[in-house]
Amino acid sequence: MGEFKVHRVRFFNYVPSGIRCVAYNNQSNRLAVSRTDGTVEIYNLSANYFQEKFFPGHESRATEALCWAEGQRLFSAGLNGEIIEYDLQALNIKYAVDAFGGPIWSMTASPRGSQLLIGCEDGSVKLFQITPDKIQFERNFDRQKRSAIHKMNVDRRYMGVSKRKCIVWGVAFLSDGTIISVDSAGKVQFWDSVTGTLAKNHLIANADVLSIAVADQEDSFVVGTAEGTVFHFQLVSVTSNSNEKQWVRTKPFQHHTHDVRTVAHSPTALISGGTDTHLVIRPLMERVEVKNYDAALRKITFPHRRLVSCSKKRQLLLFQFAHHLELWRLGSTVATGKNGDTLPLSKNADHLLHLKTKGPENIICSCISPCGSWIAYSTASRFFLYRLNYEHDNISLKRVSKMPAFLRSALQVLFSEDSTKLFVASNEGSLHIIQLLEGSFKHLHAFQCLSGTVEAMCLLAVSPDGNWLAASGTSAGVHVYNVKLLKLHCTVPAYNFPVTALAIAPNTNNLVIAHSDQQVFEYSIPDKQYTEWSRTVQKQGFHQLWLQRDTPITHISFHPKRPMHILLHDAYMFCIIDKSLPLPNDKTLLYNPLPPKNESDVVQRRTAHAFKISKIYKPLLFMDLLDEKTLVAVERPLDDIIAQLPPPIKKKKFGT
Amino acid sequence: MVQLRPRASRTPASAEAMVDEGQPASEEEAEHGLLLGQPSSGAAAEPLEEDEEGDDEFDDEAPEELTFARAQEEAREEERRVRETVRRDKTLLKEKRKRREELFIEQKKRKLLPDTILEKLTTASQTNLKESPRKLKEVNFQKKNEECEKGSHSKKVKEKVQKVQSVSQNKSYLALRLKDQDLRDSRQQAAKAFIHNSLYGPGTNRTTVNKFLSLANKRLPVKKAAAQFLNNSWGTQNKQNAKRFKRRWMIRKMKTSKM
Repeated sequence: MGEFKVHRVRFFNYVPSGIRCVAYNNQSNRLAVSRTDGTVEIYNLSANYFQEKFFPGHESRATEALCWAEGQRLFSAGLNGEIIEYDLQALNIKYAVDAFGGPIWSMTASPRGSQLLIGCEDGSVKLFQITPDKIQFERNFDRQKRSAIHKMNVDRRYMGVSKRKCIVWGVAFLSDGTIISVDSAGKVQFWDSVTGTLAKNHLIANADVLSIAVADQEDSFVVGTAEGTVFHFQLVSVTSNSNEKQWVRTKPFQHHTHDVRTVAHSPTALISGGTDTHLVIRPLMERVEVKNYDAALRKITFPHRRLVSCSKKRQLLLFQFAHHLELWRLGSTVATGKNGDTLPLSKNADHLLHLKTKGPENIICSCISPCGSWIAYSTASRFFLYRLNYEHDNISLKRVSKMPAFLRSALQVLFSEDSTKLFVASNEGSLHIIQLLEGSFKHLHAFQCLSGTVEAMCLLAVSPDGNWLAASGTSAGVHVYNVKLLKLHCTVPAYNFPVTALAIAPNTNNLVIAHSDQQVFEYSIPDKQYTEWSRTVQKQGFHQLWLQRDTPITHISFHPKRPMHILLHDAYMFCIIDKSLPLPNDKTLLYNPLPPKNESDVVQRRTAHAFKISKIYKPLLFMDLLDEKTLVAVERPLDDIIAQLPPPIKKKKFGT
Repeated sequence: MVQLRPRASRTPASAEAMVDEGQPASEEEAEHGLLLGQPSSGAAAEPLEEDEEGDDEFDDEAPEELTFARAQEEAREEERRVRETVRRDKTLLKEKRKRREELFIEQKKRKLLPDTILEKLTTASQTNLKESPRKLKEVNFQKKNEECEKGSHSKKVKEKVQKVQSVSQNKSYLALRLKDQDLRDSRQQAAKAFIHNSLYGPGTNRTTVNKFLSLANKRLPVKKAAAQFLNNSWGTQNKQNAKRFKRRWMIRKMKTSKM
């Protein structure tokens, strides 16, 4: 494999925002997650829980409720008083309707999905009719009147009985007339809607119980508390052969450290999310049909996209945050050492640039050119391109004004290897090629979107010689374009799992694609077919442990001098695939540690296989090869993220 | 009504005034009499005689005789003068006001857009309001008019709608009332503050992240330090000053060692 000097970078101060609402869609098995900064992410639970789409956040949007309506339409309502519909095909906001009731505290859709009900600050409950392209106001319910709508989730604040104001955080209305309420005193209360009396009272926590979600069959529900505990309640018969049933608290789960602000109940799993930014999906064993690795707990903490881009020539890293970009120059060392040594830095890493974005919108994508002279990034409504000049140790920035009108918002942006061309995938489905000149640019060509629906966020890859451009994201497969002739070259056959990473190898021009089910394909662009190695791998299949990895592969890169090596990484490991070595079968050890030098050759040959995996650097946000002998690994320890979260509830432990 | 006699001042300079006091005093008195609503000059037939109080010396001369007719004339003169001044003041004020009005109108005209654009706006809005409402892609717009057409709200009609369709070729913009935006913002802030207070405000049992993460360390058989033992942000100013001083000292040292 060779020896590498590794730059271990821990100064990327990445803190994700807390989860505020989740909404589960049964027909498509998708989960919509809304965060406190306004970002809405869509996870495909059947595609190995991959985050396939996301809508960037906005400072004024404080989402309080998220729900799915019929026909895969997603609506959110927030404290700014607006109901927003998201366009899942164009990946932007379709429209926002002001409900004129002040901040909206909760929203739900009717069981058939044709009506929306919202609860507003002024005490009114409004009913909206969902029409094919918009929503229309229908009726206004006054505070006093009760309506016979099933499954009404309304958050209303009223004074309670205890000495401190008791806030009811969640209410659920079952079809048999039981009302379940969770409040800030830690109680789960069952009320009878006919008589208006309290039927049962469960005190389950010392802190607030913040959220409640009922299953579709109404035989179980889940609540989340401020201490991070999630409780599962089930309707269980009193004795084994009686018909009478009662609600029993069955399972506690402690997967969160901070408040669990939202829970959802899918037919087979409990989903919870909160201030500690993890999304936890806990399949319930009694409901899962096939008990294999799929029934394990899934905790999604790290992003499923690349937030770091690298300029190899100047050893620069560009970090993408929600509202700013940071440019750092890596440190250097002159020392040498043995395997495993930590070398002292002769020059520290330098924070060169802190670029704040104008406006309230979040940054969608960003990129730095390989030569380090151009930075491009995009928000939901504007596109920015900057030119950097380096004199000695100073850096100066100049913005390229007058961006073309069609370049409003980009889903993905990428520079070519020689930094003369910029490839932009806009959210209207078109792919633009822009030639970069000294102080300005020239628009060369735009590839229009072809057939196929948008399945995931677009990913781009360009070949080092500048001839080929690959773009993924549609259901039609990965398109490969010829940049010199400006036309479509071929399309890789569609695969039913979304693409998580894409790269084109130098010289051989093989396109390596990683999918969310951990399959890796290698497609030869000049020959327009899968390579031999790829066919062999598909025939034999990947190792069982490889397929059971939780996190998707987010970056693929290559060694300039060794065409047989592919370097890829996910959040907890990085792997160098050596195509010349034999493939492992299920019986061999996948994660074999580096054999010591004094082992015999026989042992080394027996354990050597193509997948060289190392778990030294984790959790990894980015890993790349800077030059032949240097790697850069951007790590983000979980403790550093937790250290910057809001305060949790105090836990009293004996002896402290 | 009591008619107050004028009192001379005590200063010596007014001694001459006292001597001359005769005529003006009487005129003043006459004026006073008129202004205080005393019976008009026509009715009074006696000469208004006042003794010159103030000079305590006993003057043997008899006070000057003031015939009624003369007094009356003088009074009328005064009256006329007063009326004149009042009229003049009024006209001056009027003129001033007129000028100010014109100035304001000028300024207002200057502030408005040139007539051409205004024409375009009015014609455009007329034609567009007749068309069916188009789907606008702006995020922040208020569709009050349509809501009113559905006939549901009546109390919100007092708020005005301003919907300006695209006029110039490249731009499309919407005019919103700032007051509505402020109201919306303040409500949103109040709602956020409510949530923050109920979750993190007084009465909630919150602790710092450091203490939370260090709980496990405290219960280990071999107790470890807290998770965030070092406070890296302590004394940053001092550290920066020290670094700068060190750099300057090094430079100075280099210079002296070279010499």
